[in-house]
Amino acid sequence: MSDAILTVENLKKYFPTRRGTVKAVDGVSFFTMPEETLGLVGESGSGKTTVAHCIAGIYAPTDGKIVFKGTCISQDFRKRPKELKHEIRIVFQDPGSSLNPKKTIGQILAVPLKVHQITSKRERLSRIIRLLEMVELSEDYVFKYPQALSGGEKQMVAIARALATNPSYIILDEPTSALDVSVQAKIINLLMRLQQEMSLTYLFITHDLSLMRNVANRVAIMYLGKICEIAPTVEFFQRPCHPYTKMLLSAIPVVSEEEKLLKPEKIIPRGEIPSPVNVPLGCSFHLRCPEAREFCSYLDPEVVQLNAGHTVRCHLFTSKS
Amino acid sequence: MTNRYKAITAGWKARLKALSRAWYRFSRNPLHVVGLVVLLLISLAAGLAPYITPYPEHAGPYTNFREAGLPPSKAHWFGTDRVGRDVFTRVIFGYRFSLLLGIVVLALSTPPGVILGLIAGYYSGTWIETVIMRVTDIFLAVPPLVLALAVAAMLTPNLFNAMLAISISWWPWYSRLIYGMTLSLREQYFVRELELTGASKPHILLREILPNCLGPLLTKLTLDMGFAILMGATLSFVGLGAQPPTPCLGTMVAEGAKRLPSEWWSTIFPALAIVVVILAFNLVGDGLRDVFAEEEV
Amino acid sequence: MEKKTESLVHVQGLSVGFRVFEGLLKVLQELSLQIRPGERVGLVGETRCGKTTTMKSILRVLPQPPAVLFGGEVLYRGKDVLKMSRRAIYQLRRSSIAAIFQDPLQALNPVFTVGTQLTDIVRDWAAGTGKKMSRKEIFQRCVEALAQTGMPDPERIMTCYPIQLSGGMRQRVCIAAALVRPIELLLADEPTTNLDVTIQDQILRKLDELVEERGMSILLITHSLGVVMDRTERVYIMYAGSIVEEGQTKEIFANPLHPYTKGLLKSAPRLTGEGISQGIPGRVPSYLDPPSGCRFHPRCEFSMPICQKERPPLLTMEESHQVACFLYQG
Repeated sequence: MSDAILTVENLKKYFPTRRGTVKAVDGVSFFTMPEETLGLVGESGSGKTTVAHCIAGIYAPTDGKIVFKGTCISQDFRKRPKELKHEIRIVFQDPGSSLNPKKTIGQILAVPLKVHQITSKRERLSRIIRLLEMVELSEDYVFKYPQALSGGEKQMVAIARALATNPSYIILDEPTSALDVSVQAKIINLLMRLQQEMSLTYLFITHDLSLMRNVANRVAIMYLGKICEIAPTVEFFQRPCHPYTKMLLSAIPVVSEEEKLLKPEKIIPRGEIPSPVNVPLGCSFHLRCPEAREFCSYLDPEVVQLNAGHTVRCHLFTSKS
Repeated sequence: MTNRYKAITAGWKARLKALSRAWYRFSRNPLHVVGLVVLLLISLAAGLAPYITPYPEHAGPYTNFREAGLPPSKAHWFGTDRVGRDVFTRVIFGYRFSLLLGIVVLALSTPPGVILGLIAGYYSGTWIETVIMRVTDIFLAVPPLVLALAVAAMLTPNLFNAMLAISISWWPWYSRLIYGMTLSLREQYFVRELELTGASKPHILLREILPNCLGPLLTKLTLDMGFAILMGATLSFVGLGAQPPTPCLGTMVAEGAKRLPSEWWSTIFPALAIVVVILAFNLVGDGLRDVFAEEEV
Repeated sequence: MEKKTESLVHVQGLSVGFRVFEGLLKVLQELSLQIRPGERVGLVGETRCGKTTTMKSILRVLPQPPAVLFGGEVLYRGKDVLKMSRRAIYQLRRSSIAAIFQDPLQALNPVFTVGTQLTDIVRDWAAGTGKKMSRKEIFQRCVEALAQTGMPDPERIMTCYPIQLSGGMRQRVCIAAALVRPIELLLADEPTTNLDVTIQDQILRKLDELVEERGMSILLITHSLGVVMDRTERVYIMYAGSIVEEGQTKEIFANPLHPYTKGLLKSAPRLTGEGISQGIPGRVPSYLDPPSGCRFHPRCEFSMPICQKERPPLLTMEESHQVACFLYQG
């Protein structure tokens, strides 16, 4: 896709450990269009966080390419140019440890401003107050310490910090997983509004599929380092193809009867998620798949394009079956 | 404009509250307050020594064999030593040197130890860490007293060289402490975020990670004052520290020890003085630990 | 199983606070709830609403100080837990009530194997009942309990350390620790919040089966509305230390009455994709200086003058659906 803002091609990230190589990400490819929200969903061990960290620059990929606005950025933060560091920003999952407890909110927000010399020293405080306004926090938060803030407020500060450098791409790694549902609603609305106002592109990672349904334009689901399925949101939820997608969707706890009807038929999840050190041969999902065929245990499926924007990695959909 | 004013006053209010909470935690155990008061008194006395001691000239080269070896009396609260000097005066002056020694040793050994610890912890996994920590290990492997004695014996025995000797054996403990804390802090999300933003390494180490280490660091500093003083006294006891006639608590204990038990006052009082000051530092250090302890509701 | 109507647990008018540096936190306000034998009851509330404090009060594991008991009683089969002798409460904790928590890694001792920890529990329980059990019997009992939680290869798990197991398996170990005794009540504090959705489903399903087989009761404490919907018959909605609404789960979700419950349900993202509401304006109140009268009134769009002055009592609407709100008073 030439007009995509971010393209990931065959990304691989392996971590050598004493027990063996952890194949956290094993051949992931996708693209994101400007100003869209791409959702990345998966359970533990799926590699979704590692993908996000590679894009952010915390890790350098073992293999594969990441292209941002036409430039290849497959390096970690140490080698990235400074201009890139203010374009791609990340909001982390745990509000507790994402703010330095010994610093005031003002000091925390001042750092990106100072590093990228966005304002002069005099204007810095005004800019900080304006950033706080953007996330609906009043100016008396400037000299507060993170302990005085609730979880939701801490995340709002983290979002303000991400916005401080006028970025174009923000990675949101489970931004609301640690928060109550009413606070989550507030933050999601804030994120949506900011996306509109500042023309932001989001990579939204969560394990909460109900949330994903309301937030993402397109959804990609990962299992043990590979993407199983990518589709536009409505399509993903109404016509899921991959057995894992169906299994996950059928397991979501829902609140109303009408939602129950929307879920695919109940598939009782079997087994435990294997560790990424011991990825099963063939299709990594075959041990838990209710529709596994014989060749699934030794043949790795390829990505198949079903229709516009909907791709699946499953033998059920390749021409062989 | 009013925005900024509101924000700044809120900041000061928060700082005041934090201080009063710290005092509340510190003073929950009254012994801590006792330790603090004792320390303040000793420091005050040591600072004002020439003005408040009855015989300030006894701190220097003074002899008066007619008044030597006198037991404690109204004229001499702690008695006199074998050359006729007032023990009480010399103890107060001795505190001066002891406190000075403690401060200098910590001022010399803490900054390098802390900085090396920060660097080693941050660059964990690289050769930098290995080099720094192995050097630290080497210094730690030698018993501190032995190392200090060895260094002091190589140099001319005086107070300054004693301080140098102790400092050399002291810094690795700080290195280790800060190294351990940096290792775990490095994994926190806020550090990652700073790296991704592009903050400089000195900023990350000194202005973001170090403030989080202050709790155990301050506690250790306080407790170490006591130990440094003790080590200084030990060095003087074996003759490698301050030389006579400089009043040093350790030297006084050593000299007076030869005259036990008949002239007990020339040993016991300096020894008690050492005990009191170390105990006071320990109590304050204990209190500081309570202040910085994470509390759960 | 025939359900008896008398309750297993009856919390009445429980008021609990905490003494901290800043003053006195008045948390629970005359809280009342009931759990009947064989019932699955949900306790829903957001963080810091007092649900964990309630659970700890039932088990009497709140350290006093800093906790302060202002009043109320917690009756287990008619006897007040808060006034029992130490021996009696130990006996209760050994054989009748068990708890599982959100983070199994914290609940399990990392330096002992699963087997050691489970056998310790069994031995303790056996000692309490005066039974003598051989080592083999104890081991067998533990293995059975593990198997009952759906754990594959339970005998091998007995030799593992908690850190070698996945999150879901650790939680299963915690459940087994509860099951090795003939408990009547399981208190589950956010048992699956940290787990993946598919594992969560498996574990909750298992808990359902156990309720059926053993006639056990469960108090499921969570902030996840979806979990409560599927897995409980009755639910209590809690806000800032008191119950604001209670009733049959299906009824409450279909027809929420209290403005807080309504706000909560509206905030939950729906699979129908209709977008997410604005959430509930305002912040959870501080317990140091809580709002007067109804604690929800500063955030409530229907707030009336009386809401600031008095606390609304729980009013029965119909069919055991109760709500504490002046909107519904005559």
